[in-house]
Amino acid sequence: MNISKKIVVLGHFGVGKTSLIRRFVENSFSNDYRVSIGVHILKKKVEVSVDETVSLIIWDLEGTDNIAAIRQSYLLGTHGVIYVFDVTRPITFQAIEEDLTALKSKVRNVPMKVVGNKLDMVVEEEVKKVLLENKISFDYLTSAKTGDKVNDLFEQLAKMLTLDAKQI
Amino acid sequence: MNENDKIQILKDILFAEDSVYIEKIAHRIENLENTINDKQKFSSKVDPIILQQLEEFKTSIPITLGPTITATLKAEINKNKDEVVDALFPILGKMIKKYIAHEIKMLSEKINRQLSFQDKVKSWFGSSSRKQEIINELVESHIEQVLLIEKESGLLKASYSITETIDEEMISGMLTAIKHFVEDAFGKKNQNLELIDYELYHIHLQSFNDYYIAVILSGHYTTQAKDKVQNLIFDFFEKFTQTEGYRTLDTENINQQLALNFRHEHL
Repeated sequence: MNISKKIVVLGHFGVGKTSLIRRFVENSFSNDYRVSIGVHILKKKVEVSVDETVSLIIWDLEGTDNIAAIRQSYLLGTHGVIYVFDVTRPITFQAIEEDLTALKSKVRNVPMKVVGNKLDMVVEEEVKKVLLENKISFDYLTSAKTGDKVNDLFEQLAKMLTLDAKQI
Repeated sequence: MNENDKIQILKDILFAEDSVYIEKIAHRIENLENTINDKQKFSSKVDPIILQQLEEFKTSIPITLGPTITATLKAEINKNKDEVVDALFPILGKMIKKYIAHEIKMLSEKINRQLSFQDKVKSWFGSSSRKQEIINELVESHIEQVLLIEKESGLLKASYSITETIDEEMISGMLTAIKHFVEDAFGKKNQNLELIDYELYHIHLQSFNDYYIAVILSGHYTTQAKDKVQNLIFDFFEKFTQTEGYRTLDTENINQQLALNFRHEHL
């Protein structure tokens, strides 16, 4: 059985959203579209069990410093959200609480994963300590460069979406 | 004369009037029984009463039951708004199309009346008209692909295709993103992007409540072809929404419906 789910990937400018997705997906249109209309669509089939696959239709939204100003129409009908920040630039996660609150008001009741990217550029323990001190909770720390935890992130989200679909 | 006979004589004296009265009652009951058992007689008595009640009922319905019926209908429509809109959309669409077609026909007839006889002769026998006809035949439009897409998420619900293209799910996502972008850009509520043109390809978009249909066409997309595509879309969507549990239908089933509706159609 195959089901299709829409997921949206967003975050501030330059946090590595596109690189993160490219690590996971090979199948995509030219990235020029994101420059033109602010979104780039990609697709990846994920096998969640022997007889079950999920087609993730990934909407890679252009980076913005104002999450509250994200085009509402691009978030319509979303089944899951990945919020990415850059562990090397505190400016991308300092206001994470407000960003997530704004996001949750736009996209209700869907699984949301918070991801700190560019882990290859820092010492993991130090980053975790900083995030803990600033009371910033996250689901994954990834590296688009080395591929660390990238597949885990998408595959776990795919599994959650399958469970959601079954509950419906 | 025994005791019983004496009592009987006493009864006859005392209840003489009552016995006449009882007899009368018995007679009336017998008459009533006859009337009830005889259908014709019974109906002659009862029918006028029922008819009068019915007449009163008819006039009193709007006052007594009207508000209840209206409230129930309103509640039902509110509860199943999407289904109502989906069911009405193709019908209203057809009505509007019919009206516009009628108006255009009237306009065309008016223009024809105003054309001079010479113009008409030129148009009928002129070689340029024939050339145009041949060109039109050569570049007539063909349906290449039909996509049924969820309006909000952009997820592909079903498709019909005669040519191999890149991933249809990604096309659906991109089309939806473009549609959202254009509709947002002009900031007009309830207005939908209807046509995308590129060279000799055209994407006709028809929006409904929860879904939209994208028909990808090649060739010269004339008004006549557009009219036919719209009819095909409305016909399909009407049949689709009339199917029991259409929102939960499996893709394979809808793909077949799409193919049945759109294949072999010459525009």
